[in-house]
Amino acid sequence: MIAHHPSDDLLLRAAAGTLDAGAAIVVGAHLESCSACRTHVRAFESVGGAMLESIEPALMAPEALARTLAMIDTPPVARSAAPTRLPRPELPSGVNWPRSLADCAVSRWHWMGPGMRWSRVTVPHTTDANVFLLRIGAGKALANHTHSGLELTHVMCGSFHDGRALFAAGDFDAADGSVHHQPVLESGGECICLASVEGRLVFDSAIARMIGSLVGI
Amino acid sequence: MPSGDELIELVRAVALASDRGAFAVLFKHFAPRIKAYLVRAGTASELAEELAQETMIAVWRKAALFDPARAQLSTWVFTIARNLRVDALRRRHDAQADGSMDSNANPDAEPLVQAVHDAPQPDEQLAGARREAAVRRALQQLAPEQLQILWLSFYDEQSHARIASELDVPLGTVKSRIRLAVGHLRRLLQGTEP
Repeated sequence: MIAHHPSDDLLLRAAAGTLDAGAAIVVGAHLESCSACRTHVRAFESVGGAMLESIEPALMAPEALARTLAMIDTPPVARSAAPTRLPRPELPSGVNWPRSLADCAVSRWHWMGPGMRWSRVTVPHTTDANVFLLRIGAGKALANHTHSGLELTHVMCGSFHDGRALFAAGDFDAADGSVHHQPVLESGGECICLASVEGRLVFDSAIARMIGSLVGI
Repeated sequence: MPSGDELIELVRAVALASDRGAFAVLFKHFAPRIKAYLVRAGTASELAEELAQETMIAVWRKAALFDPARAQLSTWVFTIARNLRVDALRRRHDAQADGSMDSNANPDAEPLVQAVHDAPQPDEQLAGARREAAVRRALQQLAPEQLQILWLSFYDEQSHARIASELDVPLGTVKSRIRLAVGHLRRLLQGTEP
């Protein structure tokens, strides 16, 4: 049972197509696992449809229709052979990659401490998306930290408690500078989170800062 | 102006018979609206014109995939235009970042929200059209000012700032009015859910 969902604002922006690339990936991963939020996004999309109907039409160039009719005769460019397989590190059995990562390269798991690994997600067509995976062993804790920008998290598997609430598979979290937390893993098993950060992470300890710089955030 | 049912018949004619006359009517109805939406969302007029044409080409090619039981036609067209806009923004960002042409672009790649659309759960599929009708009814109950402010959320931040200066209210006020309108819409929809 998913307990934590993206805000209306994020769902509306997902429907409007105005989320930045990193946020779109994390919110997208949540939507894949949450039919309630998919329903809301569809409702917001029909607001977009109604908007299209009621908008004052713009003027198209006089030759636009003729040009378009000429183009529909041209067959679509054939897909170049088989799509190249983007690198993916291994996942625990039973855990699947969100489809929102389909166009992204995902690095191998990097060690960042006992029972803690991370992986960089490379988002195509963008240079400022800070997207990564954290893979933390059961019972471990992250450094106490706050956020300089908005951090969005989707729990792919496992669960953690950060002093505010329990987050489990499928849950979504948005944390900004007002949140100062220390996620602690539950004992059930390792936890993998997909996260996107707007600003630079601010950790409390020097070691964590070093890890932060290793993670490149 | 063709009615909603007429437009759906036109899409069917495109899907079943590659009817160019039907496509021309659809083009005249939708292309100027798509362009208007894209321009309001901050797209330069020339690119908006190009993307409106690309959207209509996608309508031609995907006409057989349109299912009136799942979504209203204008909503389906909106999602195509939105996805093309997002792609175009990313490609432009790429070109600006390294001055090179985009080498990874896959014109057939389906952006995320569309991908989610293509694989609806059976219950979601059945409820799609009914739910959309509920949204349209709820929108009719919103005050014109609230509807106006809701449209704004489909345009980019820059437009928000422009509207704020036009209305002579702070940017935060525009944003909070959007939140209020969304909340109102949500409450109206909750009343209609089973």
